[in-house]
Amino acid sequence: MFKRFPNRAGRIRKSFARPLVTCALLVMAIVICDYQTASASPTSKVMAIPAFARKYGLPCSACHTAWPELNNFGMVFRDNGYQLMNDRDSPIWQNPSYFPITFRITPNWHRETASNQPIDSIPGGGTGSVLVSHNVTQAGFDLSGMDLWSAGTLFKNISFLLLPSSDPTAVWHFESAWVRVDNIKGSSWLNFKFGRFELDNLVSEKRFLFLSANGGIYQTYHFNVPGSINDFGIGDNQIGIELAGHDTNSYTRYSVALLSSNEGGVNLTNNNLPGGTASSRSYDGYMAFTKAFDLGSWGYQEFQAYAYVGQRPTFYQTSQGVPIVGLGNEPFYRIGFAGQLHFKNIELLPYFMHGHDNAYLGAGVPDSQALPAGAHAPTFNGGFLEGQYFVNPQLVFFGRFEKINVGQQAFDSGNVPGDYGNVTAYSVGYRWYPIMFSRAGLAWHNEYSIVKSIGIVPESGDGTGLPPLLPTNGVWSSSVFIGFDFDF
Amino acid sequence: MTLKKLAVTFALGSMALVTVGATSILAQSHVNSPDPSLGAPSVSSEESHIGNMTGHAGEGKQLYRRYCIGCHGPDGNGEGMNAQWIDPKPRDFTEATFKCRSTPTGTLPTDQDLYDAITRGFVTTNMPSWRPLTPQQRADLVAFVKTWSPRWTKGKAGAPLDIPAETPVTIESILHGRELFQKLECWKCHGPEGHGDGPSALTLTDDKGNPIRPYDFSSGSRFMCGTTNRDLYRIFMTGLDGSPMPSFADVVKPNEAWDLVHFLRTLQPLKTQEADLWMAYRAAHGADLKPIGPDAAPGGQ
Amino acid sequence: MRSRYFTALAVAVLLGSGMLVFAKPPAGSGSITGKVTYTGTPPKMKPIDMSKEPSCAKQHATPVLTENVATGPGNALQWVVVYISAGDQGSTAPSQAVRYDQKGCQYLPHVLPMQVDQGLQIYNDDQTSHNIHPLSKINAEWNKSQPPGSPAIDTKYDKPEFIPVKCNIHPWMHGYFIVLNTSHYAVSGEDGSFDIKGLPPGKYTVTAWQEQYPAQSQEVTISGSEAKTANFVFKVLPY
Repeated sequence: MFKRFPNRAGRIRKSFARPLVTCALLVMAIVICDYQTASASPTSKVMAIPAFARKYGLPCSACHTAWPELNNFGMVFRDNGYQLMNDRDSPIWQNPSYFPITFRITPNWHRETASNQPIDSIPGGGTGSVLVSHNVTQAGFDLSGMDLWSAGTLFKNISFLLLPSSDPTAVWHFESAWVRVDNIKGSSWLNFKFGRFELDNLVSEKRFLFLSANGGIYQTYHFNVPGSINDFGIGDNQIGIELAGHDTNSYTRYSVALLSSNEGGVNLTNNNLPGGTASSRSYDGYMAFTKAFDLGSWGYQEFQAYAYVGQRPTFYQTSQGVPIVGLGNEPFYRIGFAGQLHFKNIELLPYFMHGHDNAYLGAGVPDSQALPAGAHAPTFNGGFLEGQYFVNPQLVFFGRFEKINVGQQAFDSGNVPGDYGNVTAYSVGYRWYPIMFSRAGLAWHNEYSIVKSIGIVPESGDGTGLPPLLPTNGVWSSSVFIGFDFDF
Repeated sequence: MTLKKLAVTFALGSMALVTVGATSILAQSHVNSPDPSLGAPSVSSEESHIGNMTGHAGEGKQLYRRYCIGCHGPDGNGEGMNAQWIDPKPRDFTEATFKCRSTPTGTLPTDQDLYDAITRGFVTTNMPSWRPLTPQQRADLVAFVKTWSPRWTKGKAGAPLDIPAETPVTIESILHGRELFQKLECWKCHGPEGHGDGPSALTLTDDKGNPIRPYDFSSGSRFMCGTTNRDLYRIFMTGLDGSPMPSFADVVKPNEAWDLVHFLRTLQPLKTQEADLWMAYRAAHGADLKPIGPDAAPGGQ
Repeated sequence: MRSRYFTALAVAVLLGSGMLVFAKPPAGSGSITGKVTYTGTPPKMKPIDMSKEPSCAKQHATPVLTENVATGPGNALQWVVVYISAGDQGSTAPSQAVRYDQKGCQYLPHVLPMQVDQGLQIYNDDQTSHNIHPLSKINAEWNKSQPPGSPAIDTKYDKPEFIPVKCNIHPWMHGYFIVLNTSHYAVSGEDGSFDIKGLPPGKYTVTAWQEQYPAQSQEVTISGSEAKTANFVFKVLPY
């Protein structure tokens, strides 16, 4: 799976020119990625589609509080299967030359720092060199990945979405691809989706306002306790089927999904594809229920409860050591709630997640073997509070505080501090939309984000991506991001 | 090192500058924001009353900019950026002429009428249902829409049409409705079979001279002003102002109006009580029915 | 200069208060007569095909012509409304309503002037339904069906406006309601002549309005029971 921002390995390759060092760090990074849980990589954005604006003649602001984030009108439109339900949704009503395609990319300048990085005392790492903790800072002009979006209706009440996504070097993957049968038996309560899609997260990471390397993901959406071999991230698109429904204004919504236990991977056995894992021959389930209440002139207040129950293999059927199919599935779950609260021009998004992995996943040992001493089922509690202030439809300020505490470490041995793996993150920024109409979108985006993680590297901390020398070391990773986010 | 510091300074500095710049540009930018001085003496004083809700034009103005401006335009005259691509054209609020009303032709609609229109949307047009907005937001929009024409400050909404209880659906009622369809010459536009293909259909234009099609009952689509029999009753008794559809309130009595409603329902390919009765009747007496159209005796039956 | 201004103001105030007291315009016996003609080549009026409405078609031995530029012998221009657009002292609307007929799928008269708040009665004399749809912008717009044999529509307009009238069922039907602030108006006849009577002495602006060409105005001063002449010439184009 592709990341909107280059993955760790890519980043390092870019940062350090010397081939030797690069190789060494690459190997290290890959080891770290594999060892350290959260290789489920963030985050391609599903997003604002001027294709729809063009189809229906509505300005961006009709569907988005600030694109790409949806407002309730946009949410109802999406829930209806990208239909306005005006009997003109079927493509037969469109001008034949209309084609629902949208491009989005963000040329930017960004600066990334990280503290407590293990750096060779002698550059090049020759004889006598030791690893010492040091700050690493990088900055420069850059590109984001690009999304090539196509979505709409194949027919009245049959919708589709296809999102080929590329990293900045034009390596493509299918971020989303699905077909949905809408309003089955004329009921908005029955909609059936088939393919690779985003889970029904009330606070969507695919359509949020953050773009910087550190701020551009919800840490909670990709967190796993250090040591756990679980690769699940609730923010990642999964592959499977979904039954969903909603009332006419989407104040009441539900989603039930059955998903392959492979973190959205394609090709069944695909562990050698980026982001993929081996086929596990098992299934995960996701359920979400959303309810909104109208508070008169304040706005509507929306709440969601969700639960994801899944399994991951603890060992693999192999051939000459190459994994084929995952075996020994062991369970994990994520439960929590989310909110979308409106106070006139202010929107608050609280989010909470409790995560629990089976002890075998935590320890990373096959479930056919005995658990090593001190192994526990790891747990964590994570959450954030995001605030947005809409000065008008063309200017939004936003900020976020995020905290993840490991409740139970995977290994309860003396040298693992209790706060190992904890994450604290702050992000703030604004987006200004110099144009707001129904053909294209342009945003001037400025953002600052800083993340502290204990003993591990923050998710997507661009620039270095290496865990500190000691599990007690905190890594501060910061991003400054300035860019033009455009969408045509 | 110095270079890096420079870069950071540049970065943070430009962020700050752009913030200030953007805010000031936005403060000056009236291009996209409807000017409250147009159409109404005071925006903030305009209110709407829907049930026990009070809508405020000041709040509505913000919402208008966000949701409506693309089609209805910064001047409320239906000449938004998208208007050129849209058919039928967006409503021109400066004329205060509205199709879907509960009030007699030539009068202003009630706040509730406008609220219902925003909530319902207009099927087969680009105007979607705005039910996803909160009731308060829709009420605010009603208040703001009323600031575009001085008619709202000078005049009051008409008295809503009194609709008596629906008469029973009988074959006599349907047959009488059919006579009215002939006599009132509904078929001149809507066609003898209600297909929207009457002799005058192709000549129709709305008030702005834009071509407009009469409703095709065989499309089975919802009506623009609602879905129920009461809505249908209201449509031809109030007329759709600004369109060629006249009011029949002066020439059709209430019980006759229900007869016409019952007949019109038989023209739609929907499973309704009226359609069932009519199919049964036609199967038995179809040969005796005089076809609707110019061949029928002038002036009736 | 200054004293003159004050005198004028005093006269105006006096006149105004006089009006208030008597609530009646000063009757007069002056008149403005004249002829409306055209120069250039007028567009050819086209015969109207009423075959879609046989009950109307059979009322006309020869096809009726369109009336937007109706001409008569001697370059006369018909259906021009000549009225006092300024200088009139104002008057209440006469109690007598004006009558508008739909007959043979035509509007009779083609152009109907009336005074603000004057009664307007619309009749359907045909054996077919009409919908009478005056496309007013300043006054409230309405649109009513009038099947054969229905009673007259009784209405009035409360603001001055030039209102095109159409019947959506019979798209060839076009007419005008001319709602004026004055009781002093006339419509040019087939010979282009008009006659505005009963004018008290005063300085007037006389305006001639034609539906297709720009309106024209002249200043006319009447003293005593003078009979003044004012002719209007419209420049017409063949398209």
